[in-house]
Amino acid sequence: MARVLTPLILMVALLAVAMLSDRPSPPADFAFANGADINTLDPQRMSWMPDLRVGRLLHEGLVKHDVLSASFDVVPAVAESWTVSDDGRTYTFVFRDDAKWSNGERVTPDDFRYSWRRGMLPDLASDYFKLFTYVEGARAFYDWRAEQLGKMNTPEAEFASGSELWAETVRRFDETVALRALDDRTLEITLERRVPYFLDVCAFTVLAPVYPPLVEQYEKPDATSGRLLRRPGWTKPGRLITNGSFMLADWRFKREVRLEANPHYWDRASLAIDSISIPSIPDPNSEVLAYQTGAVDWVADVTAGYRGDMIADKLAFRAEHAEEVERLRAEGLDEFEIDRRLPDDPRKDVHAPSAFGTYFWNFNCQERLPDGRDNPFSDARVRRAFAMVVDKRTIVENVRRLGEPTAGSLIPPGSIGGYTTPEGLPNVGDAKTPAEAERIVADARALLAEAGYPDPSKFPITVELVFNKDSGHDLIAQTIAKNWQQHLGVPVSLSQKELKVYRDDLKNKRFITSRAGWYGDYGDPTTFLNLSKTGDGNNDRGYSNPEYDALLEQAAVEPDPAQRLRILAEAERLIMERDVPMIPIFHYAHVMMFDPQKVTGISSHPRMKQYASLVDVLGDGKGPDVPRTMHGGDSVGGAGFQPAPGVSEAGSERPLESRPRQGTPSESPE
Amino acid sequence: MIGIILRRLAQLPIILLVIYTITLTLAWAIPGNPLENPEGRQPPPEVIEQMKRQYNLDSYPRFYWSYLESVTGVAYARDTLNGSIAEAHEQAELAGTAPPTRYVFDFGPSLQYDDWNINEIIADSLPVSVALGSAAIVIALIIGLAAGIVGAVKPNSLADLATLTVALVGISLPTFVIGTVLLLVFSVLLGLFPVAEWGARGAVLPAFTLSLPFAAYIARLTRMSMIECFGADYIRTARAKGVAESRVVLKHALKNAFLPVLSYLGPAAAWAMTGSFVVERVFTVPGMGQHFVDGVQNKDLFLIMGVVLIFATLLILFNLAVDVLYRWVDPRIA
Repeated sequence: MARVLTPLILMVALLAVAMLSDRPSPPADFAFANGADINTLDPQRMSWMPDLRVGRLLHEGLVKHDVLSASFDVVPAVAESWTVSDDGRTYTFVFRDDAKWSNGERVTPDDFRYSWRRGMLPDLASDYFKLFTYVEGARAFYDWRAEQLGKMNTPEAEFASGSELWAETVRRFDETVALRALDDRTLEITLERRVPYFLDVCAFTVLAPVYPPLVEQYEKPDATSGRLLRRPGWTKPGRLITNGSFMLADWRFKREVRLEANPHYWDRASLAIDSISIPSIPDPNSEVLAYQTGAVDWVADVTAGYRGDMIADKLAFRAEHAEEVERLRAEGLDEFEIDRRLPDDPRKDVHAPSAFGTYFWNFNCQERLPDGRDNPFSDARVRRAFAMVVDKRTIVENVRRLGEPTAGSLIPPGSIGGYTTPEGLPNVGDAKTPAEAERIVADARALLAEAGYPDPSKFPITVELVFNKDSGHDLIAQTIAKNWQQHLGVPVSLSQKELKVYRDDLKNKRFITSRAGWYGDYGDPTTFLNLSKTGDGNNDRGYSNPEYDALLEQAAVEPDPAQRLRILAEAERLIMERDVPMIPIFHYAHVMMFDPQKVTGISSHPRMKQYASLVDVLGDGKGPDVPRTMHGGDSVGGAGFQPAPGVSEAGSERPLESRPRQGTPSESPE
Repeated sequence: MIGIILRRLAQLPIILLVIYTITLTLAWAIPGNPLENPEGRQPPPEVIEQMKRQYNLDSYPRFYWSYLESVTGVAYARDTLNGSIAEAHEQAELAGTAPPTRYVFDFGPSLQYDDWNINEIIADSLPVSVALGSAAIVIALIIGLAAGIVGAVKPNSLADLATLTVALVGISLPTFVIGTVLLLVFSVLLGLFPVAEWGARGAVLPAFTLSLPFAAYIARLTRMSMIECFGADYIRTARAKGVAESRVVLKHALKNAFLPVLSYLGPAAAWAMTGSFVVERVFTVPGMGQHFVDGVQNKDLFLIMGVVLIFATLLILFNLAVDVLYRWVDPRIA
């Protein structure tokens, strides 16, 4: 028997050794579940939410957002002040003296020039390279470099070696791209044309600097191809040097990212936590369990299948305290603060503030359908009729069940400071009485009749609804189909496709109606309105109206910001109330979990940009330990705006392409 | 004995080469381009071309040889000899930074996780998987042997039926069901074990879950061969001599009945140690199993090759170990 037991004992020993060498790290001041694993900590290569959520703690750009302000102000970060020229094209940023890298070195304008050059190099393939092309000369520089790279080692090559090409690339960047370091504290940026939301773009983490002496070691031009060869490694703990509020203490692959407060950070005094742990929890259910057992304090993105039930519980809890909620709301408190003041109850830890995105249904607006027949939906009256009878309320309350608001417009109301979204068309779901609903249906039928379809059962085509499987789109499609059948009496059919096929069909306009969604990339109405511009790459509907394009053009050259927003609101009204290339159905909600009595500093602004560095864990003896609530803020952030005491900053892109790549069965916006 | 070990070790590179060739051919055939980011914005075509050239992804034979060179250490040896590694060190020293890491056996960069080398990924996840897998096998042995012996001593008794039922459940119930239930009961309701934390305490539930199918199989194997042994002459002799029943069971019968279990242990250990995707996911274990699935889903060629080669090596080594043990336990074979 000893012979049998020997291998057993050997294995136990092996196990013990392996286990002992691997102890879990001690608890951090604040831990959160990030939704999925991080792909990269290189700011210029980031594009998806989990990366950006960590990235904005590590890296800091010229400016940042005050995410706790209702108007989402742009506030100073590395730059302590800035001026904009009269033509709106030249920005001059003055750097603060105490903006430091985590090794104590000063952050200089040249660091930004180096980092932005990275973003403009086709070699780096930054997902957000377009943001860099606002800078004058950047687009030409990018195109030139891409062309040269393609020609290398072919007979047309203009350069004999990769090193020569690289030398010329550096020279060209210095000479043609309008990024100038006027002195060691001043950076002047000239844009290709006026970009009214350029400061908002500058607050995006992708435009934050990297530390050149470090990165240069890992990125070198290849001697033959001239391409910048990237070696991984500089983003690792012990090597990575950053300028944000936190620095990287540890990063274990698919296990944990651990951050510690950056002692050289200029606003170190504002931090109320010294360490942050971000364990990697790939399974959506495990994230919720980790929260329930106290392993994490905040689940940044709840995607568990049963979140609808959790929200229903929350709504029931709110209903039990309806009077008090009303009273607190009347005091002007934000939703998280209201939750904090309500009696303790685990149900209140779920939150679903609305996000910067909208779910909508596309119409193919082209003259002809993909099969060559006449397209009845090229007539705006038909589209309006179809839009009015979609029962959005039923979809939100009975199908989605995530507490999302129904949408009358494309841009979520209140998401952009100073912008007023139009109301949109009357909708059958909003009718207060059956009589009102009947009137809306009658109006819709009248519109159809006016467009030449008095008898909708003889509608010339079967209205096909295209959607991709997963995420419950099928149920929404069924509801809409039923509405159209019931209220208009038109023949309908459902067509479910694989994601890839669905995307392909959309891009090639092979559909009659289809589901779609969009998250705004930056804090300006055009991030949504450009979707309907003639010829825009994302105009899947093939909608084209010169009047609309003219309004966008007019806004682009309008110097007065308030007037510009009015013009854009006019444009949105045009597509939401008259032309209706798409039916807005609801604005996305963003579901998260945290105990409002313990954690404060999470933003409820629809842009959903979170800075974990703003968090104060109440009662932990660190920081002021007072709730950090939403405040009004300036309507338009300007030079010299000072952040409120005790509040540092934040910002939120829910970048369009930042969907979970795999494993996380969450909403796919596009 | 040493001859056997040497012969088997000599076969190792040949087997690995065959596995390398087959895997690479299959992975190469996955439609789509590993540099293409289906969810994100596409780099311009010139850049994709350049990147493909950098990683030799534009030509199967070139990739085949260059990757073979880097995983076998040939490339490292060459660069050491021609001085390019020393040069990089000098440059780094001049700039005052640490030189980029070079591995002797270089499994390449991850195409999906920009910031990581496959070597780092494996170095981080393999120890976890080995710990979890060995714990699971130990638990499986204890449960399986105990259940098998109980069943064999009193066949068709209540205890036997009970262990058989449990074994059946262990084999048929998917681990994500068992895992989730265990997690809910022991972590969430009772608070005995942590959630989403890897460590000695965090390993208990996943190791137990992972062990169940193995335990069930071991129980069945033990029971069957024990019953067979009980019918053998030497057991009757032992009993006739008046040897205590416990000694008959544990010393005489189990010794022979253990052989089939032992031969099963080799592949089982390799299988358990390279992790189970499902168990890892449910319990948030940072092991290697997930990389098999992720690698294929993301078309991360280097990751696929890396984990397959490691798994194959483990499998071969464990089988060798079992063969050696087998001969040691049962002198008849030697």
